[in-house]
Amino acid sequence: MTKVSLDDPVNYWNRELSWVEFDRRVLSEAKDKSIPLLERLKFLSISASNLDEFFMIRVASLKDMDNAGFKKPDISGMTPREQLKALSVATHELVTEQYNIYKKLAAELKKAGITILKPTDSLTTGQKEFVDRFFEDYVYPVLTPMAVDSSRPFPLIRNKTLNIGALVSNKTDNKKEIEFVTVQVPGVLPRMVEIPGTKNGRILIPLECVIARNFGRLFLNYDILSTCVFRIMRNADLEIDEDEAEDLLKEIEKQVKKRQWGEAIRLEVENEVDPRLLDRLKSELMIKKDEIYDIDGPLDLTFLMKLYGIDGMDGYRAVENEPNPVVELPESEIIFDSIRKGDILVHHPYQSFEPVVRFVRTASKDPKVLAIKQTLYRVSGNSPIIAALADAAENGKQVTVLVELKARFDEENNIVWAKKLEQAGCHVIYGLVGLKTHSKITLVVRMEEDGIRRYVHLGTGNYNDSTAKRYTDVGLFTCKESYGEDATALFNMLSGYSEPATWNRLSVAPLWLKDRFLYLIGRETEHALVGRSAHIIAKMNSLCDPDIIRALYEASNAGVKIELIVRGICCLKVGIPGVSENITVRSIVGDYLEHSRIFYFENNKKPEFYCGSADWMPRNLERRVEVLFPVEEEALKNKLKHILDTELRDTVKAHILTEDGTYVKHSKSGKKINSQEQFYAEAVAEVRKAGLKDKEADVAVTRRFIPEEHK
Amino acid sequence: MAKLFAAIDVGSYELNMGIYEFGQGEMKIIDTVNYRLDLGTDSYTKGRLPVDKVEELCRILREFVRIMKGYHVTEYKAYGTSAIRETRNTRILLDQIEQRTGIHVDPISNSEQRFLDYKSVASKGKDFSKTIEKSTAIVDIGGGSMQISLFDKDKLNVTQNMMLGILRLQESLMELDASPGKYDELLEEMIGSQLSVFEKLYLSDRKIENLIIVDDYVSPITWNRTKDSDNPGFVTANRFMAFFERIREMNPDEFCRRYSIARENLGQVYIAATLIRSVARSMDVKTIWAPGVTLTDGIAYEYGERKKLIVIDHDFEGDIIACARSLSRRYMGDDKRSQTLENICMTIFDSMKKVTGLSKRDKLLLRIATILHGCGRYISMYNLAQSSYDIIMATEIIGLSETEKEIIAGVVKYDHAYIDYDIETTPTGNLGKEVYMRVAKLSAILRIAGALDKSHKQKFNDIKAKLQDDTLVITVRTNKDITLEKGVLAGRADYFEEIFCVRPVINQIAKI
Repeated sequence: MTKVSLDDPVNYWNRELSWVEFDRRVLSEAKDKSIPLLERLKFLSISASNLDEFFMIRVASLKDMDNAGFKKPDISGMTPREQLKALSVATHELVTEQYNIYKKLAAELKKAGITILKPTDSLTTGQKEFVDRFFEDYVYPVLTPMAVDSSRPFPLIRNKTLNIGALVSNKTDNKKEIEFVTVQVPGVLPRMVEIPGTKNGRILIPLECVIARNFGRLFLNYDILSTCVFRIMRNADLEIDEDEAEDLLKEIEKQVKKRQWGEAIRLEVENEVDPRLLDRLKSELMIKKDEIYDIDGPLDLTFLMKLYGIDGMDGYRAVENEPNPVVELPESEIIFDSIRKGDILVHHPYQSFEPVVRFVRTASKDPKVLAIKQTLYRVSGNSPIIAALADAAENGKQVTVLVELKARFDEENNIVWAKKLEQAGCHVIYGLVGLKTHSKITLVVRMEEDGIRRYVHLGTGNYNDSTAKRYTDVGLFTCKESYGEDATALFNMLSGYSEPATWNRLSVAPLWLKDRFLYLIGRETEHALVGRSAHIIAKMNSLCDPDIIRALYEASNAGVKIELIVRGICCLKVGIPGVSENITVRSIVGDYLEHSRIFYFENNKKPEFYCGSADWMPRNLERRVEVLFPVEEEALKNKLKHILDTELRDTVKAHILTEDGTYVKHSKSGKKINSQEQFYAEAVAEVRKAGLKDKEADVAVTRRFIPEEHK
Repeated sequence: MAKLFAAIDVGSYELNMGIYEFGQGEMKIIDTVNYRLDLGTDSYTKGRLPVDKVEELCRILREFVRIMKGYHVTEYKAYGTSAIRETRNTRILLDQIEQRTGIHVDPISNSEQRFLDYKSVASKGKDFSKTIEKSTAIVDIGGGSMQISLFDKDKLNVTQNMMLGILRLQESLMELDASPGKYDELLEEMIGSQLSVFEKLYLSDRKIENLIIVDDYVSPITWNRTKDSDNPGFVTANRFMAFFERIREMNPDEFCRRYSIARENLGQVYIAATLIRSVARSMDVKTIWAPGVTLTDGIAYEYGERKKLIVIDHDFEGDIIACARSLSRRYMGDDKRSQTLENICMTIFDSMKKVTGLSKRDKLLLRIATILHGCGRYISMYNLAQSSYDIIMATEIIGLSETEKEIIAGVVKYDHAYIDYDIETTPTGNLGKEVYMRVAKLSAILRIAGALDKSHKQKFNDIKAKLQDDTLVITVRTNKDITLEKGVLAGRADYFEEIFCVRPVINQIAKI
């Protein structure tokens, strides 16, 4: 195959359209009748919040490019304008599908005893009284009605807020001039108001309906001609010019405040809106026709996530599997002693994240520990890790924490942690100019009888005990010297010191990681070319790096068997003759968010396994500090191979990428394998086999849900 | 329990700190931090560091202190190399640094620095011992100069500094304003002119097989490319030459990517590689070894050696002495007489240990003084004292500080002339009373030794000395007539007595 044909844009999918396909897969879970009703509502909610973020980041970015006259085509040969056009069609279809599903789920919810009222639904006298009283007592005091006229400019409509716009005319104005007024649906009140005292199940009325019913009371001297609920989405791509920011913290605080002022890029309106009202919104918000979404149902379906927790509906939720204890890391043993016995691989959320917290917590109190160093990207509220780090500093340990302020949408949160840690005496560093620190690594330095020993935890997921219950990730505990040296060097590098002359085990982006991957893929190609069996299995969240895809195509052509498990975006095309005939791609969208990155290279029957924080995306490989680490112990390699093999055999939650770019699920016949369920069952069995106490091994029944994450 | 030590190198373009662990007779590096800071340019051109550079330097050193505390480091040693040494206000600068950071930085001479670099190579243990079994050279490339050292068997015996540092050559190229296409040729010429002198002086009768390279540019690449091989750091000369050709031929970006080097360092890599190639070709070596060591390794190794925390097979003092002997030969020194003087001096030194207050290091300086004491004859028989002094001061002796070199030069000078009572007027006057007294004491011993071999006939080979109250009884077993020596000794004994309050006397026992 010639060089030209591999680079031909026709061989690549556009990443944005591929993302829409991913959201469609999430949405498909909401259609799956085998899943409990509230879980399906949750998937619908996730697909909606995913789409919101997609607009704010990706669509916004394309708009910026288009506005700047940027015409360079992407990997698939599409200019920003062409992409926007195609996306408009795809997202309109997606939204239509979301509301088709919503209607079906709302009907089922009604059967289950919960009715969500539509604006057109009539209320009984008693219900009316309740709703109007609720408006009077709770809603009215927090509303700020705003009128627009020559002396009052069009108000700022805040990003992602629900608003009710209306056309009104002054009762005393003989000319009957039409004016525009608007009021924001307050975010401080619950979106759904339950109307009490009904016999036939529970009735919920959307807050915007409560306000709309009482709109006249906000504008007493006016006739209300028409009302419409609307919502806008603004450009939120946060770019910080670090070179110019004297103080990164202050700059980010400033940017966060500025975020809601971005350009409007999407307008959602209730369908059957008064055309005059829509025209007014269009002109004031400077929004084009294809950026308007007529919504046949309640706007902003993310409220469904709140509904998920509604009481008295346990039968409509899935049983959550509580993470299992890690057999190799018993609580009765000092964690450092356990790690000294050999490397330990932990598979979350089937296995608990607790040992990771315990690792830091024990270190914070252990008299032999000299220093703790950790990268924090996204941490949970009330993070026990933050508390342990602060304790450690107060206990006289040297604590160095890299807080990545640039974690999107988490900036405000991160600034709070950073200040808290600094107050406790931790040495807080903010990473490298121009590069997000995405690597997940913890280093504990301990002075033992025979000298310094370093304990390292490397992971594919963030140090977030909350998401660790919902994301699938792997983590490695080790005290091998080679890993310890590299971890030390990495933290020095992140502190602004020079890069070490050599790395023992870790491959670090943006320095050498991409080269490493290209080398590993290239090595398989060479094996295949000389007739040896060659095989790559790679599991990640997204695949869109052109160099990597090209290398995979070359490998495929050479005869390498390539099996990819890519949850989200995938720009690689399968099944193109002479390009990718040996490549298969599957995406697993299940109860847990697939998040681990695991790479297998057969290497002429001497298989190598790697895990890491990086996807095969240019931003991960070129603009972030990422770490790829090898897993070398035979038992752990087998464990990783088992994870990959099981996911490749999944017939329940796997979607297979087809030649036309769509994803299809397995046919319903044959043995059903749900990899996530199998991993959980295996983790339970392992605990039982090890004879851990029931208390530790028992499966608790709690909720579970898939969080939003969108690349 | 292991002991932790920090070694700090305040270098010309980088601040480096290594944290080392000593335990079970071994040294292990735990952590290294390197921070780019160009102190050299200001120091070399203006003779002082601007305020912002001093601020930055102190900030990083405070960071180093924080890291040291983190490891519970109990002892450290910080050296400042040429950028610190060449500031005109060195003492003020170092005081400021100490006040603001708590770090005491000692300026270090080129010869001490090179010797530490050499020790850092030696810290590689087996690889080092094995390499120097065959004839070996070390090329140590710095920013301002390059040092070539040669081994004779397993002893270092020639070391020569040449003004061929990477930054210096780079500046020369810039000054010449030549097109990059001519760099090759110009570098060859600049390097060749100095290297040819070295070749004539030292390489005509030697065959060098191994070349050890110490530098910041080519060594890391070599190490990176070979770290997974059976012999990490070792490459054949042919492989190195092929690498050099690739620098010349490959697209610079492609080259940087392939060898994982920063684009801005490519110029320095090229110059370093050219220097190594020139040296390797002039010696026709077979193997090149890049041990990947740093000055901090040498500092830590020396600390471990001094504190007896590590087991050391190699005799480093022997290297310094071997170099001094080689230097003496260059100035037509009399080996036999040197050895006689050395023998007598060491005997007297040891017997006087209780009363002199001199250290083991002073003993080494005295040994070197005995080796070099007559070098001035090469220039003038008449003005021997001053000529010897001048030669020693103008020559670099590896492993010695400037002060130590001045002590040796002073001792040699006062072997041939009377010491001045006025400290200020002595050549070492600016170094203070302590140095003056060391010169006085060592020269007093050397003068006695000189008296005992006045005839240059090595009559006193079998000699013993014993301190008895205020008398040093020097017993010699010889049948030869020592009237001359006795006479000369009588004159010099006054000076010895004045210094030590001990009178040397000769007790001759005839051999039967």
